[in-house]
Amino acid sequence: MDLELTEEQKLIQETARDFANGELEPVAAQLDQGGDRGPLLANLKKLAELGFMGLNVKDAHGGSEAGVVAFSLAMTEIARVCASTAVTVSVNNMVCEVIQAVGTEEQKKAYIPKICSGEYAAGSFGLTETCAGSDPSGMCTQAVKDGNHYVLNGSKIFITSAPYAGVFVVWAVTDKQAPKGKGISCFLVEAGTPGLIIGKEEHKMGQHASATNELIFDNCRIPESAMMGKPNDGFRIAVAELAGGRIGIGSLGLGVGLAAMDYATRYANERVQFGQKVSSFQALQWMIADAYTELEAARLLLMNAACRKEAGKSFAKEASMAKLFATESANRACYTAMQMLGGYGYTRDFPIERYTRDARITSIYEGTSEIQRLIISREILKNLG
Amino acid sequence: MKILVCIKQVPDLESRFKPNASNTWFDEADLAYRMNEYDEYAVEQAVQLREECGDSSDLTVLSIGPDRVVEAIKKALAMGCDRAVHIQDQAVSSRDPWQIASIISAYAREHKFDLIFTGMQSQDRGSAQVGAMLAELLGVSCATTVVGFSCKDNVVTAKRELEGGVKGVMRMKTPALVTCQLGLNIPRYPTLPNIMKAKKKEIIALPVADLLKEESLAKTTSFHPPAKKGGGLLVEGDIADQVDKVLALLKEKTAVLR
Ligand SMILES: Cc1cc2nc3c(=O)[nH]c(=O)nc-3n(C[C@H](O)[C@H](O)[C@H](O)COP(=O)(O)OP(=O)(O)OC[C@H]3O[C@@H](n4cnc5c(N)ncnc54)[C@H](O)[C@@H]3O)c2cc1C
Repeated sequence: MDLELTEEQKLIQETARDFANGELEPVAAQLDQGGDRGPLLANLKKLAELGFMGLNVKDAHGGSEAGVVAFSLAMTEIARVCASTAVTVSVNNMVCEVIQAVGTEEQKKAYIPKICSGEYAAGSFGLTETCAGSDPSGMCTQAVKDGNHYVLNGSKIFITSAPYAGVFVVWAVTDKQAPKGKGISCFLVEAGTPGLIIGKEEHKMGQHASATNELIFDNCRIPESAMMGKPNDGFRIAVAELAGGRIGIGSLGLGVGLAAMDYATRYANERVQFGQKVSSFQALQWMIADAYTELEAARLLLMNAACRKEAGKSFAKEASMAKLFATESANRACYTAMQMLGGYGYTRDFPIERYTRDARITSIYEGTSEIQRLIISREILKNLG
Repeated sequence: MKILVCIKQVPDLESRFKPNASNTWFDEADLAYRMNEYDEYAVEQAVQLREECGDSSDLTVLSIGPDRVVEAIKKALAMGCDRAVHIQDQAVSSRDPWQIASIISAYAREHKFDLIFTGMQSQDRGSAQVGAMLAELLGVSCATTVVGFSCKDNVVTAKRELEGGVKGVMRMKTPALVTCQLGLNIPRYPTLPNIMKAKKKEIIALPVADLLKEESLAKTTSFHPPAKKGGGLLVEGDIADQVDKVLALLKEKTAVLR
């Protein structure tokens, strides 16, 4: 067994870290304040040009073909500095991977290179609806066949990157009569298609630079050829692809947790109270020990899930375990870090409050922690027969 | 045009350094390594020249050291070098600049490079000798501390950084060597596809014994952190007195009032 990264993986990690420190760090706090997304979009373009939008995508489709471990490492490094940029990159990679996994050759050629090259700032993953969150099979958006077209009606909510996405992977009901989850299909909808309306943007607690919007379909006509995969096989596709996305979100959480603890640890090593550095108090030493132990365990769970996916083994349970543990550890790490900074941690003069707000969503989106536990326990119980 | 760029892998400067058991260098265990920063400017300049010259040119990157230096070599390949030479040397940190320059010259002499790029100095040893010595050993022109570079019709124009911000411009015919200073250019990030494709580029491995014929000229006798200084200087007296004393000190000990 070898836990060493390859030279290529180390170089990708170093490149992500250098880019994050050089290009993302100067704008991250400002982007969190809201307003102009120019700097985010400019950095997304640069990240695309460097190959960060298709880490696990084949060279022939314009990807980097660097694998899943490299994807995880890159996500962590980017999230250490800017979680909003990181989630956009993670979703872009997931969209590319869905198209690569189930798209036709034409669909792959039409969209993957545009996301990988940065021609499209983003791709969006449109699954969630107001009545279908943790249970996406309960969705209501419909796609009705009309000649050689489908007509979409309904709406999605919480769609990451919607205002600047070039293409949307969208799920809709194609067979109302079918049993739950057996009548949903998956489609590719281009931005600007008549009847596709970008709805209101959510006002969120964190990850402000990343847009989260409603998506409305009002008699949105798309060609028959826009369907991805087989008819009524969409729910299975969503479930399978979300497992890969969870490695991304877990890695993102890890990055935010590490950023918080790295900052707090350095701080505690300088801050003096009672005539000594606060890091000399055992109370803080144990906080440091516990938080880093959890983050290290999270890293190993993520590496395990990534290695399994890269090796072509089953990885859904492992990805859920990694996402669950990494994102919950990240939340705890942020709270611990804030405690270590005392009152200063609660102010905007220090980055911990931003990290804490940014980390909070990671245990909710791409499947809440409860849903991860459901997946994990189901996989374990399944083996009892 | 045949181009060579020489790079060194150095510890990340954020590392905590402690002397090794023999007190001649730092303990290398558990350090994270990366390409010497000055060498990134050298690689970038070499790659830019390689791109200007097109396919009639060929760019080799060379590094001396143990297996770990292959990571730095691969970064240079990903940035655009065509091939690499890895001179395998477990004892690289015990070599003085003379030996390092001699090793490189033994390789470079038979390959007749038109242009050689090195960093101005390494971030860890900081002797700033290797580039200049290498030029001397090869008998080629040399410009050090270069912050501007162009090459046309086999003539190099190099802008040098002198003390106090003064710049000097030099012209020299190839073959030539330049040592690169921070600010010469903006080193590119290697793209991920290029990092992956660098795997397929040739890395020629040569044992150092085949190239090293020289004894070291300077030996490190001790290596230690600076002794802890006393409690600083206490300026006493009334305010006017104190100001006079501080002014006198600043004039005598520093350049800020000159
Ligand atoms: C910032 C942001 C970005 C997002 N980006 C996207 C995106 O790009 N694309 C997309 O499709 N979606 C996206 N989402 C949606 C996200 O994935 C959902 O919010 C999430 O899956 C939870 O669904 P819900 O909000 O409807 O919560 P609900 O499903 O209503 O859950 C409410 C609570 O009930 C719990 N619960 C539900 N079912 C069970 C159960 N069976 N057992 C135990 N507990 C249960 C949940 O864990 C939660 O605690 C995003 C959300 C946010 C906030």
